[in-house]
Amino acid sequence: MTLHLKFDFNAICKKVLNDKLNEHQIKHKIIGFGEVEILEKLSDEKLKNFSEDLKEYHIDIVENQKSILIQKIKDAIIDMVFNEDTTTNLKASAYLSDKLGHSYGYLSNLFSEVTYTSIENFIILQKIEYTKQLIINENLSLTEIAFKLNYSSVAHLSTQFKNTTGITPSAFQRIITKRRELKQ
Amino acid sequence: MKEDYIKIILADDDEDDRLFFTDAFDELKINTRVQTFKDGIYLMNYLNEDNVVLPNVLFLDLNMPRKSGLECLKEIKKDPKFIDIAIAIYSTSASEEDIEKTFVMGANIYIKKPSDFKTLKKVLSEVVTINWQYHTNGLNKENFLLRL
Amino acid sequence: MPARILKKSWFIKSIFFISAFIILVIGGITYRNIEDLNKSSELLTETYELNFKLEQIFSHLKDAETGQLGFIITNDPAFLKPYESGRENINNSFAELKELTKDNSALQDSLKTLNVLIDKRMDSFLKSFRFSSVGNYNDPNFRENFLYGKNLMDTIRSKITAMIDRENQTLNERQQAYESNLKVTPFFLYLVLLVSLLLMFLAYNKIISDLGKLKTYNEQLEIFKESTKQSEVISQHGNWILDIEENTFTFSDNLYRLLGEEPQSFKPTLENFYGYVHPEDLDKLEKEVHKMIKNENLPFIYYRIIQKNGTIKHFKAYAKLHVNDDGKKQLLGITTDITDEIEHYRILEERNQELERNNKELSAFNYVASHDLQEPLRKIQTFLSRLEDKEYDTLSDSGKRYIGRINIASSRMRLLIDDLLQFSRTNKTDKVFKITDINSLLEAAKQDLAELISEDNAVIKADDFPAINVIPFQIQQLFSNLISNSLKYKSQERTPEIHITYTKIKASEDDKLTKPKKAYYHKITFTDNGIGFDNTYAEKIFVLFNRLHNKDEYSGTGIGLSICKKIVENHEGYIMANGQPHIGATFTIYLPA
Repeated sequence: MTLHLKFDFNAICKKVLNDKLNEHQIKHKIIGFGEVEILEKLSDEKLKNFSEDLKEYHIDIVENQKSILIQKIKDAIIDMVFNEDTTTNLKASAYLSDKLGHSYGYLSNLFSEVTYTSIENFIILQKIEYTKQLIINENLSLTEIAFKLNYSSVAHLSTQFKNTTGITPSAFQRIITKRRELKQ
Repeated sequence: MKEDYIKIILADDDEDDRLFFTDAFDELKINTRVQTFKDGIYLMNYLNEDNVVLPNVLFLDLNMPRKSGLECLKEIKKDPKFIDIAIAIYSTSASEEDIEKTFVMGANIYIKKPSDFKTLKKVLSEVVTINWQYHTNGLNKENFLLRL
Repeated sequence: MPARILKKSWFIKSIFFISAFIILVIGGITYRNIEDLNKSSELLTETYELNFKLEQIFSHLKDAETGQLGFIITNDPAFLKPYESGRENINNSFAELKELTKDNSALQDSLKTLNVLIDKRMDSFLKSFRFSSVGNYNDPNFRENFLYGKNLMDTIRSKITAMIDRENQTLNERQQAYESNLKVTPFFLYLVLLVSLLLMFLAYNKIISDLGKLKTYNEQLEIFKESTKQSEVISQHGNWILDIEENTFTFSDNLYRLLGEEPQSFKPTLENFYGYVHPEDLDKLEKEVHKMIKNENLPFIYYRIIQKNGTIKHFKAYAKLHVNDDGKKQLLGITTDITDEIEHYRILEERNQELERNNKELSAFNYVASHDLQEPLRKIQTFLSRLEDKEYDTLSDSGKRYIGRINIASSRMRLLIDDLLQFSRTNKTDKVFKITDINSLLEAAKQDLAELISEDNAVIKADDFPAINVIPFQIQQLFSNLISNSLKYKSQERTPEIHITYTKIKASEDDKLTKPKKAYYHKITFTDNGIGFDNTYAEKIFVLFNRLHNKDEYSGTGIGLSICKKIVENHEGYIMANGQPHIGATFTIYLPA
């Protein structure tokens, strides 16, 4: 028997973090995806133990300022893409600089430097990933997804999907369906 | 941060192709370590060694003597310890059906070997980047399908 | 024919029965007539006897009277003798009469009255004697008595005469009735005889004509038998009959010949026949025959026999139950020598296999050649690109030019190999048909060409398609090839437009389908506004490597449309092209519905 699962990575991470922080008796406040505000002064040893413990879950404590900013950019983008409430008609560039308080040029350069990809590509990647999730888990049609993700047309979404993944949405759906059939 | 490189393996019986492959990664400004094997047997023996550092991305040529890329793919997909490896089929052209078949069998990436070096570099860099995105951003690997 | 004869035999049978019935009736009537005649003569005798007796009584009375008169006159007692004997005779006659008329109450009554009268008369005789014995004839009493006697005598006479008359009259009446009966009877008998003669004549006629027909049928049967014999020889089959009740076989002459024997050269039994059957097939055949006798039916069975000279023959046998008018059950069987057929089939099969092998080899060769050619070519191109990247500056001008030419030539070769490979793939891949949404295939084809389409600002308008049973990848390929063909041969004067239409048609109603295999087709047309072509090339453009244009004007290998044709043929459909120079081209596809 095969169970097909649907994850909310965000929620899982938050839960794991929360549990671990409580375990180490650290006063904290989880702000968002990948950001925790520590409400007490941590000793180096305590921080080290905590960070070791998190390794088990492949969660790294990012210290670097740049890395923190990159993470914030990613968070903002993921929030923008996955969370319908924050979906705006604003351009991503305006949205990001507005939210993070840096010029888009700066953010863009920093992002490319560290991640080997551009913000634009990252946004597209996230959108396509969300599309994949919706195709498979929600069984939504491409028209519905295009509307949900603010695409101007189905063709646009379909073309972007093909350009990003090299396969068409219908081929994608076919492959995943066949994979599941094969496993059963 | 300590192991901040990407480990790449290629199994291909063609010497020229292995050369292009390593050359391309040498020229890319990504921190990678590339290892090549000349057929499926050598590859699988290596992967099954104890304490082996498993690759982030494994490139498989389909037509290899002794053990073909598809056979390797089947074996790898059967063994849960290889679950984190992204598998890229690296082959001369195939029909649409054959390509879909490799995806269904569990390949994440299908690359048609390009006929010029620049394209090769571009394609390989894209593979590594997107794989890294999946790796670092906690994306669902089940949905990782890429054709270049 | 047998049914008609059967009907006629019924006709004749009924005529026979009717005739027999009529003869019976005639016999009956004759018997009754003779009986009547007998009765009438009996009646006559009876009446005569009665009359005679009455007359006799009267004559006895008269005798008595005469005796009385004589006694009176002579007073001689000798004269009394007749009177006394008369009295006795009268009584005797009366007794006889009573016996005769015991069935006739009217006569009996009359006789009683007569008896009373006679008794009175006798009394008067006695009185007269008394008077005469004393001799006083002049006594008025005597006279009175004498007169009274005379009167009585008259009354008796008239009574007897009346009785006789009445008897005669009844006799006459009866006689007359019988006579009229006897008069009518011969006429009736004659009539009935005539009718039965007529019927018999009809029956005879029928029998004669039926016999004639039977003869004709017999002749036809004879001819049929002869032609069956001939056809048996020519088509190499033999007939046999199994009588189910008696379990006996009859073999036709040719069945013997099929076994390599002279006709009727052995007794037609199963055991003798089994002697010829191939040992490997004997078990099977025996089982089938057993089943046949049980089920009274034999479906087609196949087995081999070995003739005495060792030749092996393949036989096919079949039998059906036949029940004749009498309810007799027979299995009518045909055994055919199908050795030639099997031999031909085997040769055909071999040729087919050879052809298939050749085809497979050819397409495998095509595939391998084009596939394996890719590898060295790709390396040439890759090394060339390396050379351009790294060593370009060290090359002389002509060296650079050569590299450029090599690039162009190898690109062209790549195009050729790619197309050829695609062509061979349309042959090679398994033809897996699937009910597929054609709209999504068209969408995917457009997706493949998205770049080209947006580059040319091409407009593609398509009807809504139903789901059709197709090989999905191939149909997508077909659409994509047709669209790219239209875009390649676009007119420079206008933006390319492609109209794709769909209709379901009846093959018989489409004049372009000359030899359709199916009744209904999906008709899909691709119409563009490109440069078109001269319709004399309408068929040529589908031929492999055929190009209408110089390769410097339009890039292309002349394979794309051949692939289209191949794909449509894989679907058992048809593709046709229709062009008008400078106006556009239409490609029509028919896929079986």
